[in-house]
Amino acid sequence: MAKGSGIIERSLLEDDQIMEEENLVMDGIDISGRWNTMLKTRVHSQRDLDSWDEVRASAIGESIDNCIQCGMCTAGCTVAQEIPAFNPRQFIYWVRVGRKDDLIKNADVIWRCVGCYICTNHCPKEVNTAEVIESIGQWLRTQVPEKMDPAYRANHEAYRHQLETYGRLSLPRLQAEFLSKLGRQKELFGPDLRQAAVKMLKDGRAIKTLLIGRPRHWNRSRFVLTDSARA
Amino acid sequence: MKTAYFPGCSLKTIDRAYDVSTRVIAEDLGMTLVDVEDYSCCGAGELKGEGIKSHFLPARNLAHLINQGETEVMVSCNVCYHELSRTAYAVQKGGKNLEDIQAMLKDADEPLIKEQPTVRNTLEYLVNVVGLDTIAKHVKVPLTGLRVAPYYGCLYQRPAKMVSSVQIAGEDTEHPHFMHDLMAALGATVVEHRAETTCCGGKNLLSDERISGKLTGRILSTAKTSGADVLALMCPKCAGGLDALQFRAVGMVGDTAKLPVMYYTQLIGIAFGHRPEELHVGDMESGSLDLIRHFLAEPAIR
Ligand code: SF4
Ligand code: SF4
Repeated sequence: MAKGSGIIERSLLEDDQIMEEENLVMDGIDISGRWNTMLKTRVHSQRDLDSWDEVRASAIGESIDNCIQCGMCTAGCTVAQEIPAFNPRQFIYWVRVGRKDDLIKNADVIWRCVGCYICTNHCPKEVNTAEVIESIGQWLRTQVPEKMDPAYRANHEAYRHQLETYGRLSLPRLQAEFLSKLGRQKELFGPDLRQAAVKMLKDGRAIKTLLIGRPRHWNRSRFVLTDSARA
Repeated sequence: MKTAYFPGCSLKTIDRAYDVSTRVIAEDLGMTLVDVEDYSCCGAGELKGEGIKSHFLPARNLAHLINQGETEVMVSCNVCYHELSRTAYAVQKGGKNLEDIQAMLKDADEPLIKEQPTVRNTLEYLVNVVGLDTIAKHVKVPLTGLRVAPYYGCLYQRPAKMVSSVQIAGEDTEHPHFMHDLMAALGATVVEHRAETTCCGGKNLLSDERISGKLTGRILSTAKTSGADVLALMCPKCAGGLDALQFRAVGMVGDTAKLPVMYYTQLIGIAFGHRPEELHVGDMESGSLDLIRHFLAEPAIR
């Protein structure tokens, strides 16, 4: 049996926190099997509340203080059902008790939110959970950018670059930038995408896409979007 | 009836099928659509992490709307709808966030938001403002016998606090039914299924092929095994995974994910007597054109 398999919400624990012996006799009493599962005591000595300050100061994270840790968000969460370590309630908990170490360890997991807003919709305390999670993710991006999965980073950077440069999204251009950031530009002409590309060239959508243009005096708007003083 | 309309980047280009079918049925229904001028992208959900800045692009569009003398705008794309609604909600709440939004607009030399904008989704607008009776009167080719599975996705009905579908039109945020009602008014057989509001993972369509393949595969196979001929959707981002990249879903869960997909506005257009070519049904990648041609050619199945 897997280590600690009898524990409810097993995904909240690290392997090395669990003590379990296959055969154990204590004071002459046989406590073999799941009866001897114990957790190591954790001492949390470094409380780091930077993330909390950042999140509650942000326009998207300000509702974090309403959270009562009820777990409704996690119960309905799309990604939690696919990745057990993805737990929005727990991310909020870590922020509020200053567990920077756990947040950093799970940064890559936090960034996988799909923005479906089920959490926000279910929250009984008017926490905009989806955006609080986004805000925690943003803070982590400033702390440990290198932990981001290359495909996620390429996705984010490609969107950011396309939006600030053109003010409008051309999906083919976005996809090309995304793939070239990953050194996968060959896929643009691969079997999966070629068929669709040829079709779009023939039916005129490719031209429309190329002619999407920019909004008027876009430079001013671009300046606002790239102004690092505004957070 | 004059109605301000925001198509957005994707409807203006590769998802013209959604835009054109919206315009075609609007014209039939006597609506005059007026585009928001000098539009920009809505942000596509990708700037959300950046706090107040995430409101800039939607606010720019809303400011242009108000400047055109309109306060209400109809949006077909669910992502644009969400982004604009979210900012309209921030405007309504006021306070420091609104001040910051106005300051950004000022710095960008754009008009300020001088009135409260209202953002409507085309689906709830059709049901709530135009009305199902009026829509039923325009049906020339009833969709009798066509089994349609409605798919709403996420942002049409969530979060309830921010969206007109729930706040104005009284849609059910857990079990939305306007698309069901609309399809029934067209004469279609409505197929209920358990994935009507589950997420397609569209946000990570490029970056996470595994999860988006799995989520889309589940939606398609759930609709198909419930007996659907076609999945009706309302979001170009969902269409990316469910239609254009359906092969990924099929690769993930098998042939039960092979299902024609169409925008619900295209189905309305067909029922209003338009040819599939007019509605760009051929732009869909999942065999929808064959399905509709077959349906139109064989009145026996109706
Ligand atoms: S549902 Fe709301 S209150 Fe409950 S744990 Fe999640 S964020 Fe906190
Ligand atoms: S928005 Fe993110 S955290 Fe919330 S339910 Fe969806 S995937 Fe989970």
